[in-house]
Amino acid sequence: MDAFITGALIVLLFALLGSGLWIGISLLGVAWIGMELFTSRPVGDSMAVTVWGSLSSWTLTALPLFVWMGEILFRTRLSEDMFKGLAPWLSRLPGRLLHTNIIGCTLFAAVSGSSAATCATIGKMTLPELKRRGYPEDMTVATLAGAGTLGLLIPPSIIMIVYGVSADVSITRLFIAGVVPGLLLAGLFMGYTIAWSLIHPERIPPPDAHMTFREKIHASRHLFPVVGLIALVLGSIYVGIATATEAAALGVVGALILSAIQGSMNAKVFMESLMGATRLYCMIAFILAGAAFLTLAMGYIGLPRRLAEFIGALGLSPLWLLFWLMVFYVVLGCFLDGISMVVLTMGVILPTIVKAGIDLVWFGIFLVLVVEMAQITPPVGFNLFVLQAMTKREITWIARVSLPLFLLMAAAVSLIYFFPGIVTWLPARMA
Amino acid sequence: MRRFLDAVYDAAGYLAAFFMVGVLAMVLASVVGRLAGFNLRGSDAYAGYCMAAASFLALAQTLKRGEHIRVTLFLESFGGKLKRPLELWCHAAGTFFCAILAFYSARLAWQSRAFHDISQGNDATPLWIPQLAMAAGALVLLVAMVDDFVLLIRRGELRGAHADELKAIE
Repeated sequence: MDAFITGALIVLLFALLGSGLWIGISLLGVAWIGMELFTSRPVGDSMAVTVWGSLSSWTLTALPLFVWMGEILFRTRLSEDMFKGLAPWLSRLPGRLLHTNIIGCTLFAAVSGSSAATCATIGKMTLPELKRRGYPEDMTVATLAGAGTLGLLIPPSIIMIVYGVSADVSITRLFIAGVVPGLLLAGLFMGYTIAWSLIHPERIPPPDAHMTFREKIHASRHLFPVVGLIALVLGSIYVGIATATEAAALGVVGALILSAIQGSMNAKVFMESLMGATRLYCMIAFILAGAAFLTLAMGYIGLPRRLAEFIGALGLSPLWLLFWLMVFYVVLGCFLDGISMVVLTMGVILPTIVKAGIDLVWFGIFLVLVVEMAQITPPVGFNLFVLQAMTKREITWIARVSLPLFLLMAAAVSLIYFFPGIVTWLPARMA
Repeated sequence: MRRFLDAVYDAAGYLAAFFMVGVLAMVLASVVGRLAGFNLRGSDAYAGYCMAAASFLALAQTLKRGEHIRVTLFLESFGGKLKRPLELWCHAAGTFFCAILAFYSARLAWQSRAFHDISQGNDATPLWIPQLAMAAGALVLLVAMVDDFVLLIRRGELRGAHADELKAIE
């Protein structure tokens, strides 16, 4: 009987989500109905207390600040500067300027918490520039789609904050754990680009005019602002002088100073970034509030415990458990965005993960990688939406050209499974 | 009426932005305090309150601009005939749950005041004060939802918030 009702609640949740009801409201609603059916506790009061507690918690304050930092940087000339600084160094590498997408996204990911923002910021410079020089559009779009997802994995990362808060894992450790896998993935993307270019040399246009070493060094001065910002945000976390929240506050100030120096900051831009960040954060907060209440309701109903027992009884090895979770998340990613996916499932799946003896920091990185894959699978994938808006191409075309990069991400998932040190090595060396 | 309602959503939105700056100010104050060797009492808790106020007060404006995320896959693909009934259903259910949220948020603030509920942190804030922002934000959200519902019934069509116009978060 219990199993039937929990099943019915899950069906109800997906029906509400599918009907187009706002995700935050769907989560609140299902939790409310579930608690009314299952418990005699005062449901409305529990809801208000839970929502208040989740949205006023100190650990979460890093999130609105990183969102704001991203909104400021998006409105600067940072992407233009990075292109100018990177391009001269890449003319000898097979694939040439295609690598500006990958390296540009990697650098920008280190100051931005979101993959859509990374993709949009780098793409608004590289897409027109590469097109003008005659680079093949499919490879330009594919490398951008793939590398844009690094915004999730390379810290700071909004989705890691969300995971850290819902799974009660140190956000600082998650951030540091994401660095090496992020660089690994960027390396895989670059390797693929090099291999592709060696097979299709005729499709890569000739290099720009030759520059001497001194000229190249001079052009690199444009990279200073972003490198400085990375050092400020990640450096202060890694050395241990700042918490994730404090680093985020420093990042906002740094981004404001940077844009002021560039001359792209004024009262109008400031207000735009502030209002944009407030609404963007509000949208995330609404989902988090709904998910917090749903987690509470699910706990009363006992769903997470029963699921853990059920999966425990199946006797799956961790490898198969993770494999099925990966499939589950990629399928779920066809309908939901990453943050909703994480908050929706964490309350239910966490006991299973703990019971299987999987390290929660490692699982966080696994989850982020899988969500990254979901970002470029149709029909719902935010990077696809961003690229569709920028290139005016069909979403299915973008997804098709990005498929090799999707497979590389799957390869990265198996690499961190067989060599968990990729994830755990750096955090273990932290102060 | 129209102008008055829009002014209410905007005012709440600007207030939310003000509290967003408040989060930054509180966190910076604690950093500066630590560097300068004094401890600003309760700045962590205040940052949390500011964050809660920012998220609730912006709810209505975010809804009005179609920036609250929803699954539009089926809503768009059924197109024509089913779209309107689905939209009506969404707004009816939305109104119902927003009303519950608004009622219990107000009740929470009222109870905190009646029972003299004080924050357990070292800020010792009477909790009803920050919770007032939650109640106000939830109430304005309810008003905005009803507003959209009425517009939908009267005109049959709202702003076109397609999936690709939604702001991306990840």
